[in-house]
Amino acid sequence: MNWLTNLYRGLRSLFRKQRIDRELDEELAAFAEASAADKERAGMPADAARRAARIEMGSAAAVKQMVWASRWESVPDNVLKDLRFAVRQLWRSPGFSVIAVLSLTLGIGANTAIFTLLNAIMLRPLPVQNPAELLLLGDGSSQGSTLAVPEGRTALFSRPFFHEFREKDTSFSGVAAVDSTQFGTKASIAGAPYQTIHVNLVSGSYFSVLGVPAFLGRTIEESDDATEGAGPVAVASYSWFQRHFNGDPSALGKIIRIQSHDYTLVGVAKPGFDGFKVGQATDLYIPLSMEKAFDRPGYNTLDNNLFQSLYLIGRLKPGVTAAQAGAETNLLFKQIVRSLLGPQPSQKQLGDLAHASVELTPAGRGVSDLRRAFSVPLEILMAIVALVLLIACANIANMLLARGVARTREVAMRMALGASRSRIVLQLLTESALLAVLGAAAGVALAWKASAMLLNLATPGPEPVPLNLTPDLRVLAFTLGVTVLTALLFGTLPAFTAAGLEFTPALKDGRGSSSVSARGVMARSLIVGQVALSVLLMVVAGLFVRSLIHLYDVDTGFDPHNVLVFTLDSSTANLPKGADEIRSVRLQQQIEDSVKAIPGVKSSSFAFVAFNDGGWSDQVLFLGVPRTPTNGRQVSFNITGDGFFSTMGIPLVDGRTFNSEDQPTSPKVAIINQAMARRFFPNSSPIGHRFGFGDDPSKAGEIEVVGVVKDTKYYALSEGTQMEAYFPCIQAPGFYGNFVVRYAPGANRQEIVSRVRSAIAEKNPNILVNSVTTMQQEVGRSVATQLVIAQLSSFFGMLAVFLACIGIYGLLSYSVARRTSELGIRAALGAQSHTLRWLILRECILLLVLGLAIGVPVALSSTRILKSLLFELSPLDPAAVSIAIVGVTVMTLIAAWLPARRAAKIDTSRALRAE
Amino acid sequence: MQGTLEMLILKTLALEPMHGYGVALRIEQVSSGVFRINPGSLLPALSRMERAGHVKSEWRATENNRRARYYLLTARGRKALSAETAQWDRQTAAIRRILEA
Repeated sequence: MNWLTNLYRGLRSLFRKQRIDRELDEELAAFAEASAADKERAGMPADAARRAARIEMGSAAAVKQMVWASRWESVPDNVLKDLRFAVRQLWRSPGFSVIAVLSLTLGIGANTAIFTLLNAIMLRPLPVQNPAELLLLGDGSSQGSTLAVPEGRTALFSRPFFHEFREKDTSFSGVAAVDSTQFGTKASIAGAPYQTIHVNLVSGSYFSVLGVPAFLGRTIEESDDATEGAGPVAVASYSWFQRHFNGDPSALGKIIRIQSHDYTLVGVAKPGFDGFKVGQATDLYIPLSMEKAFDRPGYNTLDNNLFQSLYLIGRLKPGVTAAQAGAETNLLFKQIVRSLLGPQPSQKQLGDLAHASVELTPAGRGVSDLRRAFSVPLEILMAIVALVLLIACANIANMLLARGVARTREVAMRMALGASRSRIVLQLLTESALLAVLGAAAGVALAWKASAMLLNLATPGPEPVPLNLTPDLRVLAFTLGVTVLTALLFGTLPAFTAAGLEFTPALKDGRGSSSVSARGVMARSLIVGQVALSVLLMVVAGLFVRSLIHLYDVDTGFDPHNVLVFTLDSSTANLPKGADEIRSVRLQQQIEDSVKAIPGVKSSSFAFVAFNDGGWSDQVLFLGVPRTPTNGRQVSFNITGDGFFSTMGIPLVDGRTFNSEDQPTSPKVAIINQAMARRFFPNSSPIGHRFGFGDDPSKAGEIEVVGVVKDTKYYALSEGTQMEAYFPCIQAPGFYGNFVVRYAPGANRQEIVSRVRSAIAEKNPNILVNSVTTMQQEVGRSVATQLVIAQLSSFFGMLAVFLACIGIYGLLSYSVARRTSELGIRAALGAQSHTLRWLILRECILLLVLGLAIGVPVALSSTRILKSLLFELSPLDPAAVSIAIVGVTVMTLIAAWLPARRAAKIDTSRALRAE
Repeated sequence: MQGTLEMLILKTLALEPMHGYGVALRIEQVSSGVFRINPGSLLPALSRMERAGHVKSEWRATENNRRARYYLLTARGRKALSAETAQWDRQTAAIRRILEA
């Protein structure tokens, strides 16, 4: 109870400070009087006794301060007082405060923004039950599907494997399967018009293993997934449910029509859970048992023992370690796959399987393509913004040091009045903390907007990447930590310097001369550090910009100008399948023909892939050409209309392009690129030679090469030379979703777009146009990440230089002001103005040279970590390094020029009177 | 020595309630002038002890009829005194043994 009484009394005395103060005064007076009376009794004269008593007691104010300090309530009281004082101080020098808060806003804001992204992409666990218990079979690095016998590290699994595995394994309390590709399709809810929806197929165990309960209704259960077609049901994600039904519970039971199948909405998943893939929000979960109802090229084969397209997620049983689970999984994996290969697997299949393994990886954070793409860039950006904040801190520390000199008298006065050194330090740190908190508050507001903006810039596309960027506890803790650290970084040195001062000489002399030189050394070291860091950041920025320029200079192999790319969705058009699929190709040809008739259109073609939207690849084997390491690599395939090469502007090098000779029943033909021709036929023409897919010599004669075209980029600008083969749509029937249109330079693009839209609608109104872009946009989009990194690093590099320049300007201005009389005397003694200017510039050049001497070697030894992000550029690129050096030098000299000019134009008589 | 001052104050107040100067004077007299305690240490110590509940204070009239703050020992303070005295005895005995060894 004692501390409670203490607390109560403390609070009471906080609210009755005046009374407490009066009582203390009275007690002290009584003390002094009693002491004096005592001395008088001992024979001292009354006057002397009173004086002696006062001397013995010392300063009444100091005693009162000590009594007050012995009680806990003095701490909050002091903090409040310090805060009030700090606000007054900052208010009194608005210029300093604004610059300090602004640079902190940028610094802390940038750090928070990048960390918010880093957290959302790399750190945040899925909102599932005990995420640490979840393990993924494989590392989640591949997605899609494969029919190949597993060799090497395996990440995708077939449904028969899933069923066998969950039967036999003993390490996991449950195993869930989820389709590795979430796909977009069109859905009509209760008869409303079709709209885009993102569907993910999941096993009946998915929600129970992840531990995601239903918010409304029920989740998908085992019975929905028990037999083929058993579960025409759908579970919505909470955010989709909110968007489309405004949280109306009567949505349950509504019918959702997708690709001519009806699903009943049976439930809504827990809020915050957007699926297993971070950065790909799922709208609807549908049981794997409904897989056949979806029209996806190459699918419909989940019963196939080797059709591997699923991620498997296991929840560890209590007490089982990940290593034990890994050992058991690998054992079972080989057994089960061996049994799935059938009674007589080939020697090669067994050989492949012998090399296959499954690595268990933590699945608590889900899997994410963003994570793979952005981990390194985000880490580097994090380092960049941390350095910028460090430079901002150095700047503010420098300004505080200068202010400390101006406030020498104030500090000395307060110490004379009984303030302890620690009180002074605390008060000065309070000012720093106030600055940091103001900067952080504005910074967090900035970061909120900036992180979403950055994400959109880095991942441009028709839809924003769904990523939860609301600050969570981790982000708030990070910002708080950064803020405290920042305040300590820039506040400690100046505070200790200010408080550690010998105050007697300072009281006498307004300008404080002796201590200034030590302070000057500190200020100068800070400047040198700033210059060094800004050189480092400028080198980094230069490297990224030069790498981006290299990327822009890459020859795509096609002509991206004047080409439109339409992406089409035929899932609601109910196009014929199987033997009738050729009608889709005829439909495409009709669309191509009517588009060709539009004025301004030069040519058009459907294609399986345009540029930068995934692809399809395999090995091929030519009849009569032995397998070599180079020709054994993957060949990227495309399926195109006849006009593809003229539309894309890909030059034909040899043979012919596709034409009306090529028919469904005529011999199968292909056009290959120069790289493929060179690797298979280094010394002769490939025209007329035949090849087949895969490694099977019996199939090697299936397809004849009729033409050779120039190499093009397929997935990305940064890829190396790829082997490519093109097949005509007519011999690989299907409806292909990319439609490219070349128009004449100067044609009205908007007009063409709307006329193409109506041409498509005219042929089949159920084919929906998902998006229209230009090929140039597509090419730009493929380097969006590099562009954002280059822009951000340039921005931060220039910010760093700018901050360093403010620092140099401040230091030199201060130095000119302090040396006014010296400069005046020099001028009076006949120094020329250029001599005076040189006096100040010399100081700047010395700092600059020191900064460069530190910064350049540091930059050269650390840019190696950027190597993976640089395209055909050495991390020691001399151009980038020289640009950085020149840039920093020029900026620094400009910053020094103004104070130097002031020194040169000094007014002798005024300077001499100033002292 | 840390806490010694508080022990001396407790011991002094154990005789009778006193005001601040009385405590200082008493300690000085009894120690024959060895310990002179100035208000800068005495008053913060008394303030701490009051918060710890070892003493309480009230305003009373002095012998020359002025108002002064008198400090009284509480039951908890008495307990603290005997505990600290016992501790002190142990320590001094130990030190003495070391010095005489």
